[in-house]
Amino acid sequence: MKKFNIELAVGLFVLAGILCLGYLSVKLGKMEIVGGKGYEIYAIFSNSGGVKEGSNIVIAGVEVGRVKSIVLENYQARVAMSLPHEVKIQEDAIASIKTKGLVGEKYIEITPGGAEKFISPGGKIRETQPSVDLEELISKLVFEKI
Amino acid sequence: MSLSVITMNRIVIIQAFLFLSFTFGMVSPAFAGEPQDQLRQTTDKVLAILSDPVLKSQNKVKERRELILKVVDERFDWEEMARRSLARHWVQRTPEEKQEFTHLFKELLERVYMDKVEGYSWNKISYEGELIDGDYAAVKVKVFTAKDQTIQLEYRARKKGNHWLVYDFIVEGVGLVNNYRTQFNEIILKSSYQELIKRLKTKSTQN
Repeated sequence: MKKFNIELAVGLFVLAGILCLGYLSVKLGKMEIVGGKGYEIYAIFSNSGGVKEGSNIVIAGVEVGRVKSIVLENYQARVAMSLPHEVKIQEDAIASIKTKGLVGEKYIEITPGGAEKFISPGGKIRETQPSVDLEELISKLVFEKI
Repeated sequence: MSLSVITMNRIVIIQAFLFLSFTFGMVSPAFAGEPQDQLRQTTDKVLAILSDPVLKSQNKVKERRELILKVVDERFDWEEMARRSLARHWVQRTPEEKQEFTHLFKELLERVYMDKVEGYSWNKISYEGELIDGDYAAVKVKVFTAKDQTIQLEYRARKKGNHWLVYDFIVEGVGLVNNYRTQFNEIILKSSYQELIKRLKTKSTQN
């Protein structure tokens, strides 16, 4: 009887440990279980410039969502973004790919528009701006001087 | 004899079919290129004005500018551009304010871009294709300057009636509307809409 109790306690302890581990990996990995809350919209960029799955979606510096997937479509990048329901995006909003600092990670910034119509789930942000290639711009600047 | 007539007829039919499919095949891309064609017409008109030797003399500068503006006016939707640049703050404006703002915004763009258009030695312009999505289109253009540089431009246009009107353009990945939207938003949030108007007005009197 006593032996059974110890085994039960160890079993419960291990189970609790596994649950904690699961919770941690979901939280740290920023995964979403069963779809998560919110809705999805997409945008087409001519150059995704290294945005990855899980990259941040930012409005006015506030993280509001994440990149859900990036696929190549017609030689352009189709980026799906998941956003919470309370964040509505206007039809003329502009999505642009930015870099944190000079060499930091990439994120997508949405500048809200003024249209009365909002983009419905599954809809598309029409106005996009690709990531600006600093190297290219600098090289252009350098060569103009010559 | 009758057999050869039949085969002859067949050949004629096949040739006619081929010819038709060829011509229709030719027609459809030109049809799809409506926004690009219209943009090209406007650009060609501007270039013609710029290269007109009669208008090149110093005392004709103003006249030339007016001619260019008239051509550009037909292709650009200033109100849409102003609306998009002011974004959330546009809705709160009265019709008079909207009109005033559109006017000032147009003046601002004229000032900023006229010098560039007049001063640039455009060697060649190549049209790099377009994307049409319903009433919206994006036209990609490459400009080769005399210094052998290339500048990538992208026009965004919207169909109104039979015309494709430009409401945004992107130079080397930096968008005009997005740029002004951020700036105007900052000024309005920091001070007020009146301050923005004041700034735009002082800028226009500087010239």
